[in-house]
Amino acid sequence: MRDSGLCPKLFAVSAVLHLDHVTKYYGDFKAVDDVSLSLPAGSIYGFLGPNGAGKTTTIRMILEIIRPTSGTITVLGSSSALAVRQRIGYLPEEKGLYKKMTAWAVIAHFATLKGMTRRAAKLRAFELLERYGLPGFAKHRTEALSKGMQQKVQMLAAIAHQPEFVILDEPFVGLDPVNQEVMEQMIRDLAARGGTVLFSTHVMQHAERLCDRLLLLARGRKLFDGTLAEARRTLPRRVEIETEDDITPLRDLPEVRAIANGSHPTAGGSSGNPGSAQRWDIQLAEQADPQAVLQACFTHGIRLRRFQQTDPTLHDIFMHLVGAQGSTAEGQ
Amino acid sequence: MRNACLIAWREFAENAKTKGFWIGLFLLPLILTMAIQIPILLERKGAPTRCFIMVDHSGQLAPAILEALERTHQQRVWQALSEYATRNTHAGGGPRDGAERDAVLKQLRANRPPSGDAAAGKGGKDFFLNQLRPFLNPGAPPFEEPRRQFRRVELPPDVSANAPISEQGQALKPYLRGTKQMQADGHPVELYAAILIPANLSELARPAEGAGASAAAGTRGIEYWSGNLADMKLREEVANIINGELRRREYVARGLDLKVIRQIENTQVRFAELNPKKEGGKEAVSTADTIRQWAPSVFVYLLWVAIFAIVQMLLNNTIEEKSNRIIEVLLSSVTPGELMMGKLIGIAAVGLTMTGFWVLSLVGVIVWKAGTTSAIAGPLLVVLRTSPLLPAFGLYFLLGFLLYAGIILSIGSVCNSLKEAQNCMAVVTLLLMLPLFTLAFIPKDPHGTLARVLSWIPLYTPFVMMNRAAADPPLWEVIGTLVLLLASVAFTLWLAGKIFRLGILRYGAPPRWLELWRWLRG
Repeated sequence: MRDSGLCPKLFAVSAVLHLDHVTKYYGDFKAVDDVSLSLPAGSIYGFLGPNGAGKTTTIRMILEIIRPTSGTITVLGSSSALAVRQRIGYLPEEKGLYKKMTAWAVIAHFATLKGMTRRAAKLRAFELLERYGLPGFAKHRTEALSKGMQQKVQMLAAIAHQPEFVILDEPFVGLDPVNQEVMEQMIRDLAARGGTVLFSTHVMQHAERLCDRLLLLARGRKLFDGTLAEARRTLPRRVEIETEDDITPLRDLPEVRAIANGSHPTAGGSSGNPGSAQRWDIQLAEQADPQAVLQACFTHGIRLRRFQQTDPTLHDIFMHLVGAQGSTAEGQ
Repeated sequence: MRNACLIAWREFAENAKTKGFWIGLFLLPLILTMAIQIPILLERKGAPTRCFIMVDHSGQLAPAILEALERTHQQRVWQALSEYATRNTHAGGGPRDGAERDAVLKQLRANRPPSGDAAAGKGGKDFFLNQLRPFLNPGAPPFEEPRRQFRRVELPPDVSANAPISEQGQALKPYLRGTKQMQADGHPVELYAAILIPANLSELARPAEGAGASAAAGTRGIEYWSGNLADMKLREEVANIINGELRRREYVARGLDLKVIRQIENTQVRFAELNPKKEGGKEAVSTADTIRQWAPSVFVYLLWVAIFAIVQMLLNNTIEEKSNRIIEVLLSSVTPGELMMGKLIGIAAVGLTMTGFWVLSLVGVIVWKAGTTSAIAGPLLVVLRTSPLLPAFGLYFLLGFLLYAGIILSIGSVCNSLKEAQNCMAVVTLLLMLPLFTLAFIPKDPHGTLARVLSWIPLYTPFVMMNRAAADPPLWEVIGTLVLLLASVAFTLWLAGKIFRLGILRYGAPPRWLELWRWLRG
């Protein structure tokens, strides 16, 4: 027993969150399938995945709202999230507040449930509302606030007790671009103060801008877990060139995996006219250096109008991984 | 426990802030006050004087009827006068004054017509008002004579007094329907009724004597025309007067002395109501006994209203939290058990506040309306203080609430919208209706089969046992049903806890029975 008691402490040092072969069945439906992950302290971690990937279920299991069918979850060194609930903040996917309560009272209520005293919670509620631009609305009923304000209030309710680990389920849904920016800033603030943030989203741009690490889920299975740079490496790099010359020699290069006809030619030209420039999309082999293509063009006398090295976007990675997983699933 | 208390506090505070709570809080005392006040007002001032036409073709009855109506009116005046005297006089400065006032009051009561036909001779009401004057409270309002209930008006000019009854009836119809306006003393009045007495009265009155029956068969007897079928007071009164008068005449016609008849008519034996449960020498049934008998019914009603009202609150709150998904935030902070307990405690506190206020205001209104020393309020307070009614009410309220709350929480946690939940609630409402229907029967037969059977159904135990409380049900039944109720509450809450845990996070179609069964086993 002493040994198992020691293990969580070890994790507490290295990881805020640790999932070990977690599986969740709803009846016969496998919502989460053998997911393991470890989340280091002080990072912003993105949960990505299409709808129904199991993101919310995983989050609910982390929070001990529901129990996994099998596998173990360790949060902040404890096997029970409720035992450390005062150190966790949570913003659920569906946003809702007590309609008849005032903004400050809602924030204070949830903060007291997280262990703050009533007085401290009230002070904090007013302070947060002022800091995030809602001082005039503290005494308004939440039903009288706009949707964006309500979401802000809910976010403040989730973080009022200054948790070291914050879990946000789809925090950007329903926010206008300005408020999305505010939300991103709030997340950065949390991380800057040494907190660990886990958020789920299916909007890749947010993840790309914010995340240190990300987890990609689809159909309950983990597809990828690692840093953004590692994620990029899962997709071959691409080079886009534009030229009037024949590019056949490039096809034989070992660095080149495939060449596709680029989508559109440059403005003013047309693919039908001889002599006009053509755009090509070259997929490189893994670990290949784009410079090799440039080198080859030079040696084969291919005159380039344009040479662009593009990193795969998170969107590409997402489509690549999820698409592949989808087709294999359908194949079965 | 701290979390349960926080949840409970929020439930209490938020519900106590709603308009519904405050309306509910004051509505019941308000209705009660009105229930006491309005009939008095209507009786004293509101009820209009009803105008009626009387055509007496027999020429024998009209004076007797009018005289009898006048006597009734005088009785009402006397009644009002003695109430006025009790309410507005004080005992004066010393004990002698008190005795004097009591003497005047006694005299007043003794001269109540008709036994005191002599009242008029003594100066009538003015005489007594003068007698009372020295004892009147400062600022007491002047005595107002109650309005006459009925007033005879003359036939309208276009209806002949000598026309046959059938014609008169038809001719008066438009006046009774209000399409034609009656005039009395130059003012338009509304005609309430017409009483048409046929000439062959003596034949009509004796239909049993063979020949008379056939003669009377063709006519309708005395005709009472009125568009108002709800208020039968005038018809009843006139019928009583006429029957009494005719009987008296029969007696006289058969050679009996009118005085003797009056004496016979006044023959009455006294009944003493005795209560076998009281000790020797004190068996007489007092007001307190009557109150003790009926107070439980009032408490059952309060119990029912309170449970029904707060169970609705519980349902609304649960559905709000579920449909708003607040529940997820809550469940990341507290366990489902704490959440459930908090909600139950919070709502129970709302209910206790409400019922406590109701009981207090009930007593308050009665004391205010009747004065602490009066015949009703005093015994009422004694009953409330000495009998186990209040503790029993508290206990049955809590247990009944918990039982229904368990059911409601289960419903609330598996439904997504209030609409969906209300469909399930219909069943609960029907179940809850039954105690209301039996409310009136059980005190009359507190140990009957119905009462005993219902007592053993936990859903009805609180209401029925509360209702039977006055009749001292056997101890083993009290304890037995209580144990069964406690067990049911424990079982229901355990069950509700399981359903709540699983249902509260479930969205989409409510679970099927098979699925529910699986939840309960899992």
